Amino acid sequence: MKMETGSNDSKALISVRHLNSFYGRKQALCDVSFDIEARRIFVIMGMSGCGKSTLLKHLIGLKKSPPDTVWINGEDVSKWGHREWNDYWLRIGVLFQNGALFNSMTVGQNIALPLTVHTNLPQDIIEIMVEMKLHMVGLSGTAHLMPSQLSGGMRKRAGLARALAMDPEILFVDEPSSGLDPITAAALDELLITLKEVFSMTLVVVTHELESAFKIGDYMIVMDRGRIIASGTPEEIRQMPDSRVQQFLNRRPDEEQRDYDSYISRLCKVKRR
Amino acid sequence: MNSLMNFFAAIGRWWLGVLFGLGRMGIFFLCTLRGIIYPPGKTPLVIKNIYFIGHKSLFVIIFTGAFSGMVLGLQGYYALSRYGSEGFLGSGVVLSLVRELGPVLTALMIVGRAGSAMCAEIGIMRIDEQIDALRCMSIDPHGYLVLPRLIAALISFPLLTHIFDVVGVWGGYAVGVGLLGVNPGAYWDGIYRSLEWLDIWMGIVKSLAFAVLTITISTYKGYYAGVDRGSMGAEDVGEATTSAVVTSSVTVLVSDYVITSIMM
Repeated sequence: MKMETGSNDSKALISVRHLNSFYGRKQALCDVSFDIEARRIFVIMGMSGCGKSTLLKHLIGLKKSPPDTVWINGEDVSKWGHREWNDYWLRIGVLFQNGALFNSMTVGQNIALPLTVHTNLPQDIIEIMVEMKLHMVGLSGTAHLMPSQLSGGMRKRAGLARALAMDPEILFVDEPSSGLDPITAAALDELLITLKEVFSMTLVVVTHELESAFKIGDYMIVMDRGRIIASGTPEEIRQMPDSRVQQFLNRRPDEEQRDYDSYISRLCKVKRR
Repeated sequence: MNSLMNFFAAIGRWWLGVLFGLGRMGIFFLCTLRGIIYPPGKTPLVIKNIYFIGHKSLFVIIFTGAFSGMVLGLQGYYALSRYGSEGFLGSGVVLSLVRELGPVLTALMIVGRAGSAMCAEIGIMRIDEQIDALRCMSIDPHGYLVLPRLIAALISFPLLTHIFDVVGVWGGYAVGVGLLGVNPGAYWDGIYRSLEWLDIWMGIVKSLAFAVLTITISTYKGYYAGVDRGSMGAEDVGEATTSAVVTSSVTVLVSDYVITSIMM
């Protein structure tokens, strides 16, 4: 399988070329192209509804990609069958937005699930590994608790522990710091950096938390309405003159949204009628 | 002319929707069967689901079976006594139960109790991204969520149906013999003379068919809760659960007629 010009030269772990994605007639992604290099933290940024999660779904195989658009390890994923996807899923970990823990299992059973299914490790070793993963995310001693007994942030960290259970090569993280207090969010950022530096993991992080993104990211893309409007290192992104990028980085609402006076006067007129 | 075209277009869209749904359900069922060859091991999950579908439905099945038998005893007695044939009460009760009421009412009770719960549970897993999480752990959701339930239902449905039948026969006995004074010997003799292996076999075939149909429909509805609309909220789970119960119940009654007409 040969990649299109440009992606052949790159030693990218994941390459995306001219990806378009639709939900019915609505276009969610429009001509998206980028490369993700191994052992880096790649950050996908953008406002809510800009297509970040859709893009993530294409990268983890939950949404079908058209031919010649998504390449993983030089292979066109549109040609992958059941076996190839299963092999890929064994090599990745995914932290979903709200943790996606199984409510009928304890936290420990949740983390042990992939180990129980895919390995022949004895139960006591699995228990030790579960405790190690929980310790990594700062949740030691919570293995016996049910997900419903955890706070939102703890659920997310437990979800991260489960994503790390199989020591993945690539970790996909959807909104790691949303809903977390600043201290826990900072600790999670540190953990993600450690995973890259100590375990040589590749991380793909979807976020709209600017502080976190600039702290952890080696390379980032900024998305707006399904398109990439900026890409580069954190420093390059900061220097971009593009008004939409600056608007996003400086947290400025749209002019339309900011015009409170005219909005209130319009509202009053409607009421008077 | 335009409204007539719109009318036919609406019918065509509805039919296409029905065919799409049936096709997808067929693929869903085949994917479930394929789950047999993929990890994880199914035994603990099957046992857990036998407990949920079978053991937890036991009380409601006994209760329903007893009252169904009692009503059959009461109705049968007054109908037969007009012709002086009260002695055939046992025969009427057992054939009604074993051939029809046992499998049908057992399936309807399990749909109401376990089918709706399964649909809601899988629906919540869908909207909470837990099914996506399973896939990303290289665990086949069909094999993990649906197949154990299907196997458990194939074991539980015939057993519960037989319990329903037995309890129903005793219910009919309690009313017919205990309250209305039918001769106990005539009651049991009627059962012994009229019941054939074909009747029991029909009951088993029906209960197995109902197990496959109701579990497939209930889990399918939960699995695709909100997927077509792309909304995935609590409302979608509620809608899917209602649809699962209604579709399963109607399918039980329709397939009951089809199986009866084939086997009679």
